[in-house]
Amino acid sequence: MNGTATVSNKAGASDVFALLVRWLLGGMFLYMGLSKALHPVEFLKLVRQYDLLHHHLLLNFVASSLPWFEIFCGLLLVFGVAVRGAATMLVAMLIPFSLAVLMRALAIYDAGGLPFCAIKFDCGCGAGEVFICRKLAENVLLTAQAVMLILWRNHRLCLHNLLFRSVPVSARG
Amino acid sequence: MRNARAILLEALCVAAAGLVFALAANALSPRGLRLSRNYFPEIAPPPGRTSSTGAVTTGTVTISGKTPGDIAQRLQQLGLQLVSSNEVVELFRDPRYEQGIVVFIDARDDQHYAAGHIPGAWQFDRYRAENYLPAVLPVCLTALKVVVYCSGGECEDSEFAAIMLRDAGVPREVLFVYIGGITEWKANGLPTETGTRGSGALLKTTP
Repeated sequence: MNGTATVSNKAGASDVFALLVRWLLGGMFLYMGLSKALHPVEFLKLVRQYDLLHHHLLLNFVASSLPWFEIFCGLLLVFGVAVRGAATMLVAMLIPFSLAVLMRALAIYDAGGLPFCAIKFDCGCGAGEVFICRKLAENVLLTAQAVMLILWRNHRLCLHNLLFRSVPVSARG
Repeated sequence: MRNARAILLEALCVAAAGLVFALAANALSPRGLRLSRNYFPEIAPPPGRTSSTGAVTTGTVTISGKTPGDIAQRLQQLGLQLVSSNEVVELFRDPRYEQGIVVFIDARDDQHYAAGHIPGAWQFDRYRAENYLPAVLPVCLTALKVVVYCSGGECEDSEFAAIMLRDAGVPREVLFVYIGGITEWKANGLPTETGTRGSGALLKTTP
């Protein structure tokens, strides 16, 4: 042993768990992104309903690029390329989006006599009409998964590692 | 600290690459949005038009009202006429409908139009107006009554479509908006046509 750092070829249970989290999160974003990208006009109308973007260029930019950006990040996670960067971008999207959904739900709650968790609307998430409490819980879970992937130090079962991983010294002959 | 910086740098690279991917995918997609087009223009009401309250409307009107009363008032401010459910049925059964003197325009997208539209209605998806206007405009210009509808409820596409037709030269006097839309039409048990216009595939709906 000459002290050179090597990466073990053996994947532990924690690596398999990280892989499953990656696939789950990546798969979710792939599905949600595709369902919006295939119906961009519907998504454009939903984004407009939030009444947050008042200039048409900004509205069009968000409605046209966000679904494809989600697909891109989903693909990175599924294949294990730039996992921590992709997970960071997902957190950066999930937090403001969840706040926007919460604000809209609160506005509906203030306007009507519905219990908060009985409020249901199409939030533009790609899954149609959803109960707000369920959606917010789902977003908290997705954010937690993304944070976990950011904090995970070694993503062994990644395409990046499979292609570029260090070869153990002993294996070099 | 170095680790955090590395993650941020990686995130920035993902953001830049993702943005390029997203813009390219939207540009290449046949369903992609046009970034520069204003799909929800603020609509100027006809100059000097008097509202139902007697006040002269000026400036612009934004489409934001939600209740049927709001929608009706807003349409009047925009200079558009409303048509009720009973009037729509009368127009549909009017012999002039067969002759093209009365025209129905469906302002929904391909998928919804194919799933069921008022028999004989022309499709005019305003988000892809360039694909439909060449066929629809001559029909509207020769008609004496043009009824535009969409899904009903909070759907605003019939209003925007009517405004587009008005701006394209269809006289304001012949344009009518059916705010009940296809939802009300079906709820009244009236038939719908599936597939393309004139397909003859009629569906009888039960109220």
